[in-house]
Amino acid sequence: MDKVKYFFQQSWLLIVASFFFGLLIAVANAAWQDNILQNEENKFNDLVREMIPDANASEIVLEDVEVESRKGKKKLTSVRKVVSAEGRRIGWAFMCEGSGFADKIRLVIAADSEFEKFFGFKVLSSYETPGFGSKIAEDDPESNEDLVDEFKDAPVGEFVLVKTGRRREDESQPNDGLIIAISGATVSSDAVVKIFNAYADEVKDKLREKGHIGNGE
Amino acid sequence: MANKGERAASVYKDTLLAGLWRENPVFRLLLGMCPTLAVTAAVKPALTMGCCVIFVLVCSNIVVSLMRNLLRPHLRILMFTLTISTFVTIADLFLKAFQPEMSAALGPYVPLIIVNCIIICRAEACASKNGLAVSVIDAVGMGLGFTITLCALAGVRELLSTGKLFEAQVMPGWFVPWAAMSMPVGAFVTLGLMLGLVNTITGKKD
Repeated sequence: MDKVKYFFQQSWLLIVASFFFGLLIAVANAAWQDNILQNEENKFNDLVREMIPDANASEIVLEDVEVESRKGKKKLTSVRKVVSAEGRRIGWAFMCEGSGFADKIRLVIAADSEFEKFFGFKVLSSYETPGFGSKIAEDDPESNEDLVDEFKDAPVGEFVLVKTGRRREDESQPNDGLIIAISGATVSSDAVVKIFNAYADEVKDKLREKGHIGNGE
Repeated sequence: MANKGERAASVYKDTLLAGLWRENPVFRLLLGMCPTLAVTAAVKPALTMGCCVIFVLVCSNIVVSLMRNLLRPHLRILMFTLTISTFVTIADLFLKAFQPEMSAALGPYVPLIIVNCIIICRAEACASKNGLAVSVIDAVGMGLGFTITLCALAGVRELLSTGKLFEAQVMPGWFVPWAAMSMPVGAFVTLGLMLGLVNTITGKKD
């Protein structure tokens, strides 16, 4: 009993402050959550437009698709149908996330209308080391270290990360599914590959299961 | 009575000016070097970072000052960290909600304010030993000193690396931008030169 009393004598301020500060953060979060989600939605649409230039709008067709990572962690995502100005389905896009070197990496991945090839990916948010891991977000075809380009037109399936190799000289060459890591950012490159491997097949299976692809539409 | 008021005003003035020059966190105390080097490639992110630091400094100094008599010595650092991280989270949420581009540009450096030495230093050295007024003035002085320094550094780097300030062309047409100034090397060189200049002005020898 004395020990419990001593514990509370010593730490009551910490306990009270924790509750108070937690409440403060919860209030701020509740007040600004709508704006934050709207900003993310806008950013998502902008990134999709960068990957699929003909994209005009997107709508959620599958909600709460459960994806299991290799470590057994379950994550949820929503899959969106991307349509052109004429209303034709031109692709699919979804948000996904995985553990990077510093923190979570969140990506937007886009695939073609039959979910057979990827348009590529864009980084929604990442706290990877500036100058090293942050290079995963750089999309510069002229650069020798363009991870984004490695996924362009790549067939949907399992990707393998390699440390060295010969990059495609232009986009007309077929993509073999081998992803060459960015030097100095192997962990971040590996994280991106793992995200693709965790989500791609799962999302494709769900789309097929619900009749959104493979139905001759 | 008048003497007491004058003395208080003098203390407030000294406290405010200390952060701006005599105890400037960057130039004199060499604290907060991580954001000083990392977010000063342009003035806008530097200014945003400075404003976030002012907000966190003022709020954490207020809270620490108010609870200074209740703090247990062995739990004080824990309490400081808890307080600081709360206000940093609020600042981070605010940026994400109302300045999404700046939030993305600053990346991890806003959450990293939690471990910014300036804030924990002021909580320990000033707010935990002084009343509310002195603590707030100290926070404003230190925050302004930090922000002005960051903006000065960023101004030089942005001007030399792009020829622009706040995206407006400043340098004449014949000016060739120094790309290196936007890179880490530019941050180190500019900071070194500015520190040298400040030491020359103040006559500091060692």
